[in-house]
Amino acid sequence: MSGTAKTPADFLKAIRGRPVVVKLNSGVDYRGVLACLDGYMNIAMEQTEEYVNGQLKNKYGDCFIRGNNVLYISTQKSQ
Amino acid sequence: MAAAEEDNTVKEPLDLIRLSLDERIYVKLRGDRELRGKLHAYDQHLNMVLGDVEESVTLVEIDDETYEEIVRVDKRTIPFLFVRGDGVILVSPPLRTS
Amino acid sequence: MLFFSYFKELVGKEVTVELKNDLAITGVLHSVDQYLNIKLENTKVVNEAKYPHMLSVKNCFIRGSVVRYIQLPVDGVDVDILHDATRREARGG
Repeated sequence: MSGTAKTPADFLKAIRGRPVVVKLNSGVDYRGVLACLDGYMNIAMEQTEEYVNGQLKNKYGDCFIRGNNVLYISTQKSQ
Repeated sequence: MAAAEEDNTVKEPLDLIRLSLDERIYVKLRGDRELRGKLHAYDQHLNMVLGDVEESVTLVEIDDETYEEIVRVDKRTIPFLFVRGDGVILVSPPLRTS
Repeated sequence: MLFFSYFKELVGKEVTVELKNDLAITGVLHSVDQYLNIKLENTKVVNEAKYPHMLSVKNCFIRGSVVRYIQLPVDGVDVDILHDATRREARGG
């Protein structure tokens, strides 16, 4: 774990390639490996699983999430 | 610079969309709508033109008597469709063999 | 600018604009601006029975932000031109 990140931007830089949970404003969760993101918080993820109310609903090999829907991005210790 | 832009690397999220041009993609939209269609054009807002589109709308109705939730999926097809980007939640390209 | 340019080419053709409130209007595309606001002429609401108050509307201005979809005429889509324009736009940022 890199506990040295100081700013949100540092955090976002540090988590590329890591397993993450992305929560959207709708409450839906996406778990997968963060490929990259941009300044709008648009996100590209790999091996993504979609959880609605905690239940697995879908899997995507690659997926793009439009940034305006993102509530938070959180790192996972493991999948 | 120009020559290097057409490569298969994903440096920013929109590259994933760029690599899906002329491929069938899945789009999840606000309002419980999903689209499957061939991506012909897009811009940075995720405005898109899709071809041979199948739209699925998921509706949940409550039965008047039993109060059971009835999930209905309405489907329709549209030859060519412009989709405004602000309704887009997620785009998933077909599985890439790279 | 890609879609602004594209819709300018479609002026004079018939399109069906579906709004975020589910109202769908078919009409001849009269004009478009950079925000993708559009003006339609000879309009007809797709589900007239459900929206009787729209019967007398023959022309309209639609704010771009309320549009969900625009159904395009098949003869108004040149796939190769769209691909090229999209690649140019993607390079330009």
